[in-house]
Amino acid sequence: MRADARSGGWYHRAVVYLLFLILLLPLAGTLLYSLATSWSASLLPSGLTFKWYIALWSEPRFLAVFGQSLLVCVGALLLSVVLILPLLFVVHYHFPRLDALMNILILLPFAVPPVVSSVGLLQLYGSGPMAMVGTPWILIGCYFTIALPFMYRAITNNLQAINLRDLMDAAQLLGANTWQAALLVVLPNLRKGLMVALLLSFSFLFGEFVFANLLVGTRYETLQVYLNNMRNSSGHFNSALVISYFAFVLVLTWVANRLNKDKT
Amino acid sequence: MSFVSVQKLHKSYAGSPVFENIDCRIERGEFVTLLGPSGCGKSTLLRCIAGLTPVDSGQILLDDHDIVPLSPQKRGIGMVFQSYALFPNMTVEQNVAFGLRMQKVKTDESQARVREALALVELGNFAGRYPHQLSGGQCQRVALARSLVTRPRLLLLDEPLSALDARIRKHLREQIRAIQRELGLTTIFVTHDQEEALTLSDRIFLMNQGRIVQSGDAETLYTAPVDLFAAGFIGNYNLLDADSASRLLQRPVTSRLAIRPESITLGINGELDAEVRSHSLLGNVIRYRVQVREVELVVDVLNRSPADLHADGQRVSVSIDPTALREVA
Repeated sequence: MRADARSGGWYHRAVVYLLFLILLLPLAGTLLYSLATSWSASLLPSGLTFKWYIALWSEPRFLAVFGQSLLVCVGALLLSVVLILPLLFVVHYHFPRLDALMNILILLPFAVPPVVSSVGLLQLYGSGPMAMVGTPWILIGCYFTIALPFMYRAITNNLQAINLRDLMDAAQLLGANTWQAALLVVLPNLRKGLMVALLLSFSFLFGEFVFANLLVGTRYETLQVYLNNMRNSSGHFNSALVISYFAFVLVLTWVANRLNKDKT
Repeated sequence: MSFVSVQKLHKSYAGSPVFENIDCRIERGEFVTLLGPSGCGKSTLLRCIAGLTPVDSGQILLDDHDIVPLSPQKRGIGMVFQSYALFPNMTVEQNVAFGLRMQKVKTDESQARVREALALVELGNFAGRYPHQLSGGQCQRVALARSLVTRPRLLLLDEPLSALDARIRKHLREQIRAIQRELGLTTIFVTHDQEEALTLSDRIFLMNQGRIVQSGDAETLYTAPVDLFAAGFIGNYNLLDADSASRLLQRPVTSRLAIRPESITLGINGELDAEVRSHSLLGNVIRYRVQVREVELVVDVLNRSPADLHADGQRVSVSIDPTALREVA
């Protein structure tokens, strides 16, 4: 029995490692390609170099694109924080019954495929008084709706864990007005949920392509659109771009996980 | 004029009344308890007095001033919650100081008062800890200190002991009562636990279905329940319908009868023959179920020595103190 169990354990482990290897292989290939001087006719690259990374990180167009991506994501997230925090507070403190309705509403952006909703957005904001297709503004607004579910869920969980009503009541009986109670007592206790929500949404938005390409395209290039436009240039250069992007998101995800762990 | 006077208070949720026409008076320095089953409206009444739940109509006079139009901040009322409601992001000291900070009390004075309040609940050494580093009993003592430090005119306690285990509950309730006496603080305590109510209160308001059923001191409530609900909720009364009561007493009885289990004596030479059906040991008391004239009675006997124990099935006799019989509506 023990031998069986052990061989079973060995077998399970082998499957998991194999799966891991298969998943990592393309990434490892890309990493190696981005570090190769050239790699075409041989089994292994002919030499290793950092020149593609140096070329990438000294390319002004890439740096601009990176900054623009950051700007759009941070803008969208700022907008969501400013709008969602008070909304959540009002829903949970004054109208807890609305929570069920909100849960359906915030999923709507996910219910419609991005290709379909971007056609609608193009119609609506392509001309007329609200014409902003091709500007970062439409992307910020659109990304706000995508970030909504992440933000709402994460902060709701946090709110439910802190017993909002009793904390507010206690603070008010001790002489705080609603603003003081919200800022001094509730907000500091939402910090962790908020950070997790922000990092999750950021990782997701930073890699968004469909909306960015259809709504704005090259007029305000973001990282994924840039990657798409560069697909015909050097593969080594593109690999360096993919790995840089991946590393950036990986670090962010790691930070998000760390914060999540502190919470439990 | 009473210190707290609730007059004709109405409150309903979505059309159905939580309570109607509540009237009660509380004297200065009194410790009163709102006792009742869950859903009887006692917590809502407490929240209305605190100003956390708006009332539909009626008046709440505190020291002769109607406080209904005032916001909770301006009522000068302290409250302790079942969930403690300590601020998790603040240390014990910051929690206790919060009320003084809102009142813009100077730092020196605030520090002195916080120290004093923490000493009162015997938590002087815990000032730097965070709530998650404290036990439930300690959390509730911090909450108590936090509501006392602002020197409220009235202290409200909303089932403060319900989340604690039995031993700590007993200790803390004695501590609460001692502090209340020391400060002479008018206090309203809400509980569904009759033992808590009986041991702590100067006066008890027994509530059921949005009404105050009976009010009085512990003695009155225990020995003279006004109706079936009061008899059923307090103590472990034997409640007999008219038929059983007539059979037991061998005379016509027209209403229901309540008999306290400790007012019945078990012996060898009693008035009525009986048989022990079962018994259970409650510590200092043995609770017997005995069959007398086809009526089953619960009898509590002080557990003096194992030799006195009556076995199940044993023939015994019982005597009932006639002054302990109460007819209830």
